[in-house]
Amino acid sequence: MSVAHRTLSTRAANWLLLALLAVYIVYNLGPIFWLVISSMKSRMDLFSMPPKIFFTPDWGGYQSVFGVGVGANSAAAIGVFDSLLNSVLIATVGTAAAVVLGTLAGYVTSRYDFRGKNDFMFFVLSTRMLPPVAVLVFYHIMYAELGLTDTRIGLILIAVFINVGLATWIMKGFFDGVPREVEQIALINGYSRLYAFRKLVLPMVGGGIAATAGFCFIFSWNEFAFASILSTTQAKTLPVKISAASGATGIEWTQICAAGVVLIIPVLIFFYLIRKHLLMGMTFGVLGRR
Amino acid sequence: MAAISTSTAPAARRKPATNRLLIFGFLSPTLALLLFMVAFPIFSLINYSFYNFSVLRAASGRKWAGFGNYEYLLTDIDLWNRFVFTGKFVLITVALQFLVGIFVALRLEKNFRGRDVLFTLLMMPMMLSPIVVGFLWRYMFNSEWGVVNYLVSVAGFDKLDWLGQTNNALAAVVIADTWMWTPFIILLATAAFRGIPRTIYEAAEVDGAGAAFRFFRLTLPLAAPVLFIALLLRLIDSFKQYDLFFALTGGGPGSSTETVSFALAKTAFSYFYTGEASALAVVLLLIITGLSLILVRHLTRLSARY
Repeated sequence: MSVAHRTLSTRAANWLLLALLAVYIVYNLGPIFWLVISSMKSRMDLFSMPPKIFFTPDWGGYQSVFGVGVGANSAAAIGVFDSLLNSVLIATVGTAAAVVLGTLAGYVTSRYDFRGKNDFMFFVLSTRMLPPVAVLVFYHIMYAELGLTDTRIGLILIAVFINVGLATWIMKGFFDGVPREVEQIALINGYSRLYAFRKLVLPMVGGGIAATAGFCFIFSWNEFAFASILSTTQAKTLPVKISAASGATGIEWTQICAAGVVLIIPVLIFFYLIRKHLLMGMTFGVLGRR
Repeated sequence: MAAISTSTAPAARRKPATNRLLIFGFLSPTLALLLFMVAFPIFSLINYSFYNFSVLRAASGRKWAGFGNYEYLLTDIDLWNRFVFTGKFVLITVALQFLVGIFVALRLEKNFRGRDVLFTLLMMPMMLSPIVVGFLWRYMFNSEWGVVNYLVSVAGFDKLDWLGQTNNALAAVVIADTWMWTPFIILLATAAFRGIPRTIYEAAEVDGAGAAFRFFRLTLPLAAPVLFIALLLRLIDSFKQYDLFFALTGGGPGSSTETVSFALAKTAFSYFYTGEASALAVVLLLIITGLSLILVRHLTRLSARY
């Protein structure tokens, strides 16, 4: 094979690889684009074949979802206000509590060696690993006996539970990045451990706390399995509400698309804020420390 | 890691009790939550799994069943099919995610303008709610007016009944799950590839090693520890996948795309066979715990190295 020939075939191979990458990028980004434009389509445009990319925007889906304008009176309007409020409350309070617990536990596991530490690290991460449906078999009974079924408190407890392991591991990763000399110097100067933790170490991991909070918020915001079994009417979260939008009249696609966009907007905002810590968050603080 | 004995020696010698108090104080809230939400439920599930009872008929009480529930699970052919289906789904979807993810990570290794922005954009799917992802794909997979079938027909093929046929439905879930989780593999593979020292490649270049040699003998083995973490996490998460199936196929057509999690949810919350459901939950927990043990061991090892 001549040299010229070989470079030609390498170039062809490069183009092929580039084309494959382009196909992947379309596959990756296309559906989100499709969801967003579908949410602005009228019922007619939504089901037209071939699908339309250019159309006059119609806010019927959003109107039904938020119960305003013409869509408000339609019998099929799902009305998301209550569930949106539930979701915001549950995710916010749950995140705050998980971050506090995770910060405390992460600090101690980063700084001290104690008996059973590895067991604790495994035990705490199990909250992220357990199949929700398996523990739900028991939670279902326990929640009914404790009167927690269909309450916001009950779902806040779930939000803390599913995130505390993640928060502990990520915060341990951030604390590992703070030199031990910080406390050492404080102790030599006569300050207490607790003072060093609060006034010196905590401010140094502020970014880490924010990133951890971002992850916890996204995961509790998206949580479905627990909420779908443990909430029936009062405490329904937005994902549960969306899943119930397939009623007697079939699936309300205009509303599902609109509610879907409402559900993913906060996720995308938080995702943008934590983008630098993505690797760290997705590997429990083990990789991507800086 | 002997923090107490080295870095804070004077303080530790002065008041070791303070340290112990701090450890206890900082850990006890989390520990209490874990005991209440993990340990207590698991012990109760194990206990329940030996009884024959239903939460619906609490009054008729529990009857000791010994290993009856487990025997029932072993002989339930439907349940075996759920395990086979789940295994099939896990293998296909994880393999596909690795193939595509590693390919894209390699393509994105070279720096070009806008790469970091593109990389961030590509990460979006894995952060979205599986419920929205499921409904979005269900909407796009509609056989009459779905955009997927439109593309299929533009490409010159016959439209497919995506969600109405067992194999097509499996393909549909795999496509949706791969869409959602390939970014995760891209993320970890990129991190793994960046962790490989350049000098190793330079040495290989001097020796005249080809691209294939470099990839299979250098890149892959050196990236293996990180990729192994990715593999375990994907295995665990796809094995317990529930939300996506719920929204995309609803377990159908018939019950052909029901995963083990799905079958468990049905047993527990549709039929209310609490005893059997507990036994199945215990089996699931055992499998996940086994995988998690391996995962945590490797995470701890990696954590010490990085």
